[in-house]
Amino acid sequence: MTHSLHRRGSEESLENDYIILVTAAYGYNHEGARDKLLQVLDVVFEAEPDNLGSNETGTIYSGVTLEEIKENLTDVPRVRCCFASKEKMFQVIKKINEMDLGLSVVISGLIDNVVDMANELDLKPHSVNLSLEVWGNVDSLPPEDILEVVTMCGHGLVASGLVEKYIEDVSIGKITPRKAAEKVSHPCVCGFFNPDRAEKIFEKYAPQ
Amino acid sequence: MKVNQDKCIGCGICVPYCPAFAISMVNGKAYIDEEMCFECGNCGRPRVVRCPTSAFEESEGVAVIPRKIRKFFSDPTISDAVTKVPGRGTEESKTNDVTGKVSHGEFGIGIEMGRPCHGTTLHQVEQMTRALAELNIEFEDCNPVYHLMEDPSKGTFPDEIKDERMVSCIIEFSAKEEKLEAVMDVIKRVANDLDTVFSLDLIYRFDDEGNIPIIQKLNDMGILVRKNAKVNLGMGRPMVKD
Repeated sequence: MTHSLHRRGSEESLENDYIILVTAAYGYNHEGARDKLLQVLDVVFEAEPDNLGSNETGTIYSGVTLEEIKENLTDVPRVRCCFASKEKMFQVIKKINEMDLGLSVVISGLIDNVVDMANELDLKPHSVNLSLEVWGNVDSLPPEDILEVVTMCGHGLVASGLVEKYIEDVSIGKITPRKAAEKVSHPCVCGFFNPDRAEKIFEKYAPQ
Repeated sequence: MKVNQDKCIGCGICVPYCPAFAISMVNGKAYIDEEMCFECGNCGRPRVVRCPTSAFEESEGVAVIPRKIRKFFSDPTISDAVTKVPGRGTEESKTNDVTGKVSHGEFGIGIEMGRPCHGTTLHQVEQMTRALAELNIEFEDCNPVYHLMEDPSKGTFPDEIKDERMVSCIIEFSAKEEKLEAVMDVIKRVANDLDTVFSLDLIYRFDDEGNIPIIQKLNDMGILVRKNAKVNLGMGRPMVKD
């Protein structure tokens, strides 16, 4: 799954947009990984992520608790969440590195920033999954602001129609940009959606 | 999914949540066009749409092929029985530090058909896989798309499943770097004929100096590479040997 890839937006808006995914490889090191992932979840939660969830439960913004996420971890579990701060992201990588759990750690974000963080911890990045943009019938896609919001849910569950509805509601003052961002985040069950970035996009439509 | 018409009170809150635009109001009640529906489950999740009368129900036949295919590739709460990976499920670069699926001198490709916004049918997927198969591509077998193929060497799918629609599925393979230009030429050609979209991934190893030299090659071919990506930090153990 590549659902934290292909997030759209300017370098400036992606500056504070990081996803961490910690996982075991099925058939290689997945046995015993569940307990390690529970330790990682504690580290992540202490760092106060801007979103956290799991496919099995949904996200903290939709009312799920850390306990529910922990109870529902599968045999090939994954910890995934979103940070809207480079510093917070760095501190989490640092702690997981100190724990030396042997799980694969993947960070989505601006390549230069992620490599800088790795270098600071003497980590040697192994592989990269590059986004080579969208191809095909691209003229039929919605406008860029809507794409920036919907691509924060790589599972494709945040509908463009939902973003349009909340842009409209924000523009007539029916809802605040923050509330709209949180409402739109609900379909993203895994916790990759960044409500802070979405709020900034909705703010552009708020009445002055 | 379908709407229990006896339970629906016609409030319409569900309509904008559907990524397939399959929900509309008909005679004052929500109605799902099952041909358009991806079976992603969005509308039925109590923490998403929050339908006040819990009027959404599973479609008949969603537990069996061919309709099951829609749900499998669209609903991230489902895991593949073969790969054990959730949703559209591939490991791509996430565990490459342990699995070594993509080595130095190689590149991996993920073609995320239907992403973003449009979704895809397996007819459209086959347009791409048939063309790539002509390059003697070996599709990744630890990927659910592979297991739907009738003949992976030809990139073909059985007729009876080709009309199924889904949020997205990922065509995945790796190849030697000298094949890069030929692969990209095929992808460009098929893209021009497609009635949907796809997001394109390229998986690669950092070199010993921590650089990604393939970016320059791609730029020289006129292919844009976004500044944001997924970086595997190399913390998995046992680390694959080169």
